Amino acid sequence: MDAVEKANAERQKRWVKDQKIGEGTYAVVYRGREASSGRQVAIKKIKVGLFKDGLDMSAIREVKYLRELKHQNIIELLDVFSSKTNLNLVLEFLESDLERVIKDRSLVFLPADIKSWMAMTFRGLEFCHRNWILHRDLKPNNLLIASDGQLKIADFGLARDFADPGYKMTCQVITRCVCAAVGYSRDSDINHGWYRPPELLFGSRYYSTAVDIWSVGCIFAELMLRTPYLAGESDMDQLNTIFRALGSPTEQDWPGHTKLPDYVPIGHFTRAPLRDLFTAASVDALNLLTQCLIYEPKKRITAKDALSHAYFFAPPYPSHPSKLPKTSPPVNTTQPLDEIDGNTLSGKNNRKRKLSSSTDETKTRSAVARRLDFTKTTPGS
Amino acid sequence: MIPLYEASSQFHNWRFSAQNLDQIRSSLNAAAVGVIRNTFEADQPGSSASISFLNPDEELLLVRLYASKIPQLCGFFRFPEEVEATAVSYLKRFYLKNTVMDWHPKNVMLTALFLATKTTNHPIALDAYANNIPKTTPSDVVDLEFLVAQSLGFEFAVWHAHRALWGIWLDLQSLPDAPPDRATSQRDVYEAALKHVRSSRLSDAELIYTPSQIALAALSIADPELASEWSHSKFPSESASIPHLDNTLAAIRALIEAAANPQDVEVVRAVDLRLKICKNPEKVVGSKAYLAKKAEEERKAEEKRTRKAADAPPTEGDPFGDELAGRLVDYDDDDDD
Repeated sequence: MDAVEKANAERQKRWVKDQKIGEGTYAVVYRGREASSGRQVAIKKIKVGLFKDGLDMSAIREVKYLRELKHQNIIELLDVFSSKTNLNLVLEFLESDLERVIKDRSLVFLPADIKSWMAMTFRGLEFCHRNWILHRDLKPNNLLIASDGQLKIADFGLARDFADPGYKMTCQVITRCVCAAVGYSRDSDINHGWYRPPELLFGSRYYSTAVDIWSVGCIFAELMLRTPYLAGESDMDQLNTIFRALGSPTEQDWPGHTKLPDYVPIGHFTRAPLRDLFTAASVDALNLLTQCLIYEPKKRITAKDALSHAYFFAPPYPSHPSKLPKTSPPVNTTQPLDEIDGNTLSGKNNRKRKLSSSTDETKTRSAVARRLDFTKTTPGS
Repeated sequence: MIPLYEASSQFHNWRFSAQNLDQIRSSLNAAAVGVIRNTFEADQPGSSASISFLNPDEELLLVRLYASKIPQLCGFFRFPEEVEATAVSYLKRFYLKNTVMDWHPKNVMLTALFLATKTTNHPIALDAYANNIPKTTPSDVVDLEFLVAQSLGFEFAVWHAHRALWGIWLDLQSLPDAPPDRATSQRDVYEAALKHVRSSRLSDAELIYTPSQIALAALSIADPELASEWSHSKFPSESASIPHLDNTLAAIRALIEAAANPQDVEVVRAVDLRLKICKNPEKVVGSKAYLAKKAEEERKAEEKRTRKAADAPPTEGDPFGDELAGRLVDYDDDDDD
C-alpha cells in the first residue's frame, strides 16, 4: 500500500459510522463518533462515482473553505478521508438548526435571544468575509445549533472567494440553484430564493459580501416574525415580494439597477415603515435591519460594522448561548419536521422564562405570538 | 489577531526548509526503490540487480519538466493565472507524498490541472478537457483525481506569489511620494516581476518561502530600487529586519534565476526512458504484479464482507430485517456503491 493510501486508511479508522440520519441523491449523512474518545460527529459521505466530471464542485468548495476556516461560529471540518469512490467529510455534530428553532412553536424568543443569534451569525460571517469568502447560501437551516447553544454557519457548497474585485461571478446562487448534496442535518429539499438579494435576482455578475448581509437581514426579520419575511414563490415573485415590503427602488435608492442584465420593471410600491410590521422591535434593532436590507449593495452594512452596531451594545444584552431556547433533541432525526413542530417537551423552559421576564419583554412576546396566530395554532404558548 | 496567511493550511502544512525537502524526497525515493526491488524479486529472483533506479534529483527533473507543460496547456485552454499557479502547486505537493516511479508526472500533471480548474472555480467539462489533449481519455484524468486530492490532504486553497505581487504593486502606487502616474509609467516593472514570479513556480521557492517574500524577490530582480522603496515603507528605517530580509531575498533570487534556465531536454528524456524500466510494475495495468495486487485486494474485500455478514445479528421472523434503529451493521456503509 502507498504511503498516501496508508495515511488515508489510518484516518478512516479514527471514525466510526453509527447511524444514517439523512440521505440525498449524492450523499448520505451518518451520525458517528471518534473511535478513541467517543466524541460525536457527523459524517457526510459523498458518492463521487456518480459524477461524470469527477469530484463535484459543491464537495470541493465545502472541503476547500472548511479546511481553512476555524472559528467558533463556523462548523468545524474535523477530517476528510476517502473510501473507494466516496468522499467522507467528518464534521462536528450539531443537533439542531435555526430553522427548526424558529418553527418550534413551543419556544418563546426574547429580544435578548434574537440578539445572541444575530451576534453569533455576524461573528461567523465576519470571519468568512475577512478571509475573502462569500457564503452565498445563508438561510436558517444552514445556521446550525450546537448542544451548548453556539450557532455555527454550515454548508459551504456554494461558497466562493472574491479576491478579485469586479471579477465576473455567477448569479445563480443562494438556494435557487441546484444543490445536489443533502443538507447537513436533514435533506434540504426546500430551495427557496427567499434569502436572495435583489442584485442577484436582477442577474448582477459583480457582487460582494453584501449578498450575505441581505440574507442575514432576512434571517433577522424571520427571527422577529417567526415566519419567513420575504417568501416569494419564484424569482419574479421574489422581487415582487421584496418591493411590496420595502418599496420599489428608485434610481436614487439604487443607482444603476435598471442597467442590470435581468432587470425588469416591477410595479410601483411605496415603502411602508418597517415599524408597521415589526411592532415590538427596538429602534436599534430596526435600524440594523434597515441597514442590512438597503437596496444599493455598496451601502449595505458590512459584517464588521454590524458587530459594532448600537443594537449589540444596548440592553437587553445578548443571552448567553447556553440559555437560548432549544428544540428538544428529536427521538429519531429522520423524522419529518412537522412532527417535531409543536413538541411540548421544551415547554418548561418557557415557563421559567416568563417568571423572569420584564414587562418590555412580555410585550414583545405577545406581539410576536399574536402574529404567529395568523398562520398556525401555537400549542406551547 | 493572527495574519490570515498564518491561519492557512499552506502555512501549517506546506512549508519546509531546503534540508527538509531533501530528506522527504530521499526517503520517498528509498522506500519506493525498496518496494519495487522486492516486487521484481518476487516475480523473478535476481531480476532487480540490473535495474538502474532514479535518484531523487532525477525524479525532480521529471516533475519540473511536466510542471513546465502546465502553462502551455493553460494557454491553450485560456485558463486564468490562478488555475495555472494552483495546478503547479498541486503537482509539486503531490511529489512530496509520492514518487514518479509509482505515478508518472504526465498523468498527475493532467489530473492536477483538471482538479485546479475546479478548486479555483473555473470548472470545465471532463470531456471537453480530455478531448483537447492528445492521447488522453477522460479516465486518464479522473482515475487519479482521488489520489491527488488525498495526497494534497484535501487542502485545496493555495496562496500565490502572483497575488502577493499584485498587492505590492497596489501598495507602491499608494505610497505617499509615489509618482501619480506610476500605474502606467512603471507598468513594465510589474510585468517583468510577474515573469520572475512565473519562473519561481518551477523552483522549490513556494515550498520554502511565503508568497510575499517570493513576490518581493521577483520585484527586486526587476527593479531593486522599487523593491527597497516598498520594504522601507513597511519596516521602520534602521530596522533589524531589513538585513535579514535581504538575505532571504537573495536566496529566493538564486532559486528563481536557476529555475529560469531551460532544462536540458536530452537529459530529461534519458531519465524518462529509464523510468519506463524502473517504474513500479504494480501500477502498470495488466502486468503480472498488477494482477497479483488486484487479486490480493479482492481477497481482502471478500474477507471483510464475510466478516461483516457474520457479525450482523441474526434476524428472525421479519424477512425484511429488524428495525433500523437496532441494527448495528449498516449495509450501506460498504463503500463500494
